[in-house]
Amino acid sequence: MNLERIPNEEKLGLSRRYYLGGFAFLPFLWLVNVLWFFREAFLKPTYTEQPQIKSYVKKSALGLIVWVAVLTTWITIFQHFRAQWGEVGDYLSFTIPLGTA
Amino acid sequence: MCVSAAAGVCSSSVEKKIYVELNETVPCVRLLNATHQIGCQSSMSGDTGVLHVLESESDLDWILSSGPHPPYIVIMETAFFNRSVMMRMKSSSRVAGVAVIVSKTGLADNFSPHTTCPNQNTGVYSASYGSDLANCNVTVWNPLGNGLSYEDFAFPVFALKDENQTQVIRKCYEDHNLRVNGSTPQYPLCAMQLFSHMHAVTDTVTCMRRTDLQNRFSINPEVLCDPLSDFNVWTSTRPLNSSAKGHAANESVVLAATRLDGRSFFWEQAPAAEGTVSGIVTLLAAIQALSPVTQEAPPPRNIFFTFFQGEAFDYIGSSKMVYDMEKNDFVIDLNNVHSMLEIGQVGLRSGQSLWMHSDPVSRKNDSVNEEVLDLMRRMQSAAAGLNVSLGHPLFTQPLPPSSLQRFLRARPIPGLVLADHQTLFNNRYYESMYDDAENLNVTYPPDLNPDEQLVYETDAAKSLAEVATLVARSLYLQAGGEEKSLSNITADPKIVSHVTNTHTRTLGVAVLLLSLLVTYFISSKAELLFSSACETPTTAY
Repeated sequence: MNLERIPNEEKLGLSRRYYLGGFAFLPFLWLVNVLWFFREAFLKPTYTEQPQIKSYVKKSALGLIVWVAVLTTWITIFQHFRAQWGEVGDYLSFTIPLGTA
Repeated sequence: MCVSAAAGVCSSSVEKKIYVELNETVPCVRLLNATHQIGCQSSMSGDTGVLHVLESESDLDWILSSGPHPPYIVIMETAFFNRSVMMRMKSSSRVAGVAVIVSKTGLADNFSPHTTCPNQNTGVYSASYGSDLANCNVTVWNPLGNGLSYEDFAFPVFALKDENQTQVIRKCYEDHNLRVNGSTPQYPLCAMQLFSHMHAVTDTVTCMRRTDLQNRFSINPEVLCDPLSDFNVWTSTRPLNSSAKGHAANESVVLAATRLDGRSFFWEQAPAAEGTVSGIVTLLAAIQALSPVTQEAPPPRNIFFTFFQGEAFDYIGSSKMVYDMEKNDFVIDLNNVHSMLEIGQVGLRSGQSLWMHSDPVSRKNDSVNEEVLDLMRRMQSAAAGLNVSLGHPLFTQPLPPSSLQRFLRARPIPGLVLADHQTLFNNRYYESMYDDAENLNVTYPPDLNPDEQLVYETDAAKSLAEVATLVARSLYLQAGGEEKSLSNITADPKIVSHVTNTHTRTLGVAVLLLSLLVTYFISSKAELLFSSACETPTTAY
């Protein structure tokens, strides 16, 4: 979809929908929101809807950073300690690698 | 490494151009018990390394520190397959795998990969029972043991059994990898890939839990490990109702037992001639010798013969039988057992001597001591006229590793273990792949064909027949039989030789057994591949 040809209210609507959708445990929607509307929010000359789009993009970016931090921490801990957790590690795993602890 | 193997020119597949597949190879596999893992493991796609033949100390330094093309696959002769070399390689990251050339040339005069004190934690001697006798404090049974079978190696170890292919390997090494005049060899180099990926990890508990998860939740469950399971074999002179369980009324049995299994460092290469076959053959011949007289003049007590499987791994078979007896899940129970005679390693007698081992702790009780002394007296009278001189080791010496120990854990049963060794084992190749017919001194006159060899009465067979006669007569006396029938009980050396020859020729009585004390696992295929430099220098592109 080419944002050039869409009226500004629709752009605002899109950004709002992506922002709200991301709260349903969908951080990729926030990622798309940030990447897609970055130019609209910060690099285009000002228009009426722009401050709201800017706020949606900023809040999506914040949510995205939180998700990335949490996921990275959990993945690192799990990969490092799964073998030591024994039974708990096995019950948390979907597939367990063969041949290594 | 040769990468530019000819592709377009030849019609055979690329893999055949690069690799020479080795057959007649045996891997070392991973085994688990309740707390640990032992054995060897390779990477999922095999471990590849540059070939190096280990022939001297300088070769070992080359592999471990100075060679410029790590990791190396080490080819070694039997002489170098010892604890110091293997432990040095275990702690190095430059060794990708080991291949051992199996041959008798250069074999040291002893090699036992088992521990020095077999089954020390699962016998009867512990902190609460004969604590000063536990952990081989008094007698070390297998002092020549280097414990290699119980180490955990992170690289694959294979045994190469085909002499012709060993020559091919050597030729490749000499053509490409050999250092000439101190200069380091350059690529292309000869390499080898060893593949023996094991799925089992950590310990039995983990493996069983993961198997359970696989079976419950996976569409295509992976096999992670197999339990060591098999069957004990038993029979008796007077028939017992095999479907009846628990205490058998009016039955007092004399147990005659021996073990049925052996093991070695490599998978299923366990001839166990002196360690196991000598016992099996003796007991079978004794059963055969007893059969006519127990029909004509049956003794008051029943004689119960049993062959225990899995004794190498913490007494799987005998502990299962004792467990079943205690739970009233077996044809007899421990109250039915009057006494026990176990046949240990009896093939390598020095001269005529045979030793009767007993447990000093249970003999502190007077009634048990009386029974044991009676059993010894009956054996001595049974030995009259035979080429056997019975002796008893020091009273303070504990029992050697034997199934009787598991029975003693449950009940102070009077029993003896018959063995050819007074203190340490006479077997210098205990639980190794070299414990074969040659170790038992089975020799034939040079002009016999295989069929004649099968029935020839070797000296080893005659010696075992003497022991079998002694065992049969002792069991008959112990079961309450009369002295006058003793002369009719004789083991036939022909039967003994036939059974010995057959057994020592068949390959390994590998260990498989009833309860899940130890689990081991083997990957779906253990292949050994071997890459060589290009044979055809005309590369296609």
